[in-house]
Amino acid sequence: MPTLGETLAGRRRSGKGSLLAYLMGGTLPRERYLEAVDRLTAIGVTGLEVGFPFSDPIAEGPVIQRAATEALSRGFHWADLLDLVPETSRRLPTAVMTYLNVFEHRGIGPSLTEIGAQGVSAVIVPDLPVEEADVFRNERGRTGVDTVLLASPGAPPTRVKQIARRTEGFLYLVSRYGTTGVTNEKALDPSRPTPELSGILKEVRTTRPRLPVLVGFGVSRPEDVRRYRTLGADGVVVGSAFQALLGPGGSLKPLEDLAGDLVHALEVSDG
Amino acid sequence: MPRRYGKYGGAYVPETLVPALEELERGFRSLRRDLAFRSELRTLQETWAGRPTPLYHASRLSGEVGGAEIWLKREDLVHGGAHKLNNALGQGLLARRLGKKRIIAETGAGQHGVATAMIGALLGFETVVYMGKVDMERQRPNVERMRLLGTEVREVTQGTQTLKDAINEALRDWISNVETTHYLLGSAVGPHPFPTIVCEFQSVIGREIIAESRRRTGDVPDLAIACVGGGSNAIGTFHPLLPFRTRLVGVEAGGVEGSVGAASLTRGTPGVLHGMMTYLLQDAEGQILPTESIAPGLDYAGVGPEHAALKDSGRVEYTVATDREALSAFHRLARTEGILPALEPCHAIAEAMKRARGMRKDERIVVTLSGRGDKDLEVVAALAHPR
Repeated sequence: MPTLGETLAGRRRSGKGSLLAYLMGGTLPRERYLEAVDRLTAIGVTGLEVGFPFSDPIAEGPVIQRAATEALSRGFHWADLLDLVPETSRRLPTAVMTYLNVFEHRGIGPSLTEIGAQGVSAVIVPDLPVEEADVFRNERGRTGVDTVLLASPGAPPTRVKQIARRTEGFLYLVSRYGTTGVTNEKALDPSRPTPELSGILKEVRTTRPRLPVLVGFGVSRPEDVRRYRTLGADGVVVGSAFQALLGPGGSLKPLEDLAGDLVHALEVSDG
Repeated sequence: MPRRYGKYGGAYVPETLVPALEELERGFRSLRRDLAFRSELRTLQETWAGRPTPLYHASRLSGEVGGAEIWLKREDLVHGGAHKLNNALGQGLLARRLGKKRIIAETGAGQHGVATAMIGALLGFETVVYMGKVDMERQRPNVERMRLLGTEVREVTQGTQTLKDAINEALRDWISNVETTHYLLGSAVGPHPFPTIVCEFQSVIGREIIAESRRRTGDVPDLAIACVGGGSNAIGTFHPLLPFRTRLVGVEAGGVEGSVGAASLTRGTPGVLHGMMTYLLQDAEGQILPTESIAPGLDYAGVGPEHAALKDSGRVEYTVATDREALSAFHRLARTEGILPALEPCHAIAEAMKRARGMRKDERIVVTLSGRGDKDLEVVAALAHPR
């Protein structure tokens, strides 16, 4: 299995859009979770982000917050993550997303080594700014795990350049001011991408032309996919919209349907 | 301006907040040297907030306890009833300078919420305060005060429903509204530059202690004691005293006997929460533990990063007082001095009573009495007269 970064770069080269799906670990029983991943794989999703819960997820909206609380109360531990990711990464290139303190407490080197050995090829840490990222990036040679950095609207061009140079695998472009998920009362209307996004994309393209850029936060509909593709992004990350469709006993059909619509929107935008 | 205190501090935040933190640091740097700002701050401190506050020799309490003299720095007499206004006033003026129209805050005991509500009214901001559901129930009078001052109080029902979760929600609001909104963080915690800003605006406490202590007794105190939750009244007390010979002691909430309480420095380990590297109460996998204390203002799993560094360097000694010790200090102070203190500084008073006995009569202890006890009357009365 190629790494997530290689997969995304390959698709960028051939002009194909990518869809990265986020599902919080521990919100479904292991076998059911893997069944969901099987369905996403069959539909043509590009990669998977396995969420690991943290007690105080400040960048998350209500859906992922609830998912984290639920995963913790079901007793989803690091050992369960290590047990899950070899299976997910057999199906889809896999990233792990969680907060800095989870890595800090376990040790950044040891935890990256552990997940790298189980097939994980990237980590996404929403509270790790570029200034603090070297402790992660320095482990890459040993562990093979990419450290994906995020860029947000409002970042001045010098900062965008710095992030584009230092991110690994791809650049995670935050769509707007706000937390994850679609409901965010006072945030800007998610249907209108902030004008900063095209400026940021332009800056990234000049700095590092081959780097894939995926847009995330509040992405939930085929029209979002088309808009960000038209804007020049290589694809999208969808988390809350998928997570909201998961229930422990419930059907996986709604998840499948949404993934199908989003993949279709990508293919249409590929032309 | 240093981003770290030793290895502690830093700014571990989502990217969206980085430009706002940089703007805040630039604004603060230029404002702290601005003579017009300093003069406006001083005028409001004197004519609106009631500064300087007295340094009071609690002679009846000292006599009963025996040993060293116990003096109280009367931050309970600041307008609004707590030291929190010192910081809210400074940051409010800073927010106005940054052109913000809206301020948000977290509150535990409600004291910082009330201070923010007062500043919001004074300076004409739209004001929103996040408060845990548990804290809203146990500090009801402060919820009413905030509402009467025109502030919207938003109940936080996530997690432990206390201060930690109120900070989470305030940070999420800030991430969503960062262009129009200033986050008026109330304790010496959070990402850089907040711990530095809060320390600067609270240091008026320590500066006044030094000046008044010298004027009245010719010297700085032998020992200064303050309670530590996030640590804002303590850092305001300690920071100006760091170069002097005064011994410094911070007192954390021990909770009920045998519990972890909320003593992050005494019982925690380093980690990252709310944008800072500091001592945290956390489990084996880095999940933040629920805390508990009779004093909502101390009920927090983290602590300001400067305290973490001061603990490691040994310049400040940190210890705990239990709920029971704090309550007993409450009653002792009420009956000997005619002062109803907030439950938070009762932890510091309890420590002062322990230490005074072992000290000489000519030695002096200053305790920062960070707030008054009106907000706690329901809780204390229920324990004093159980039904």
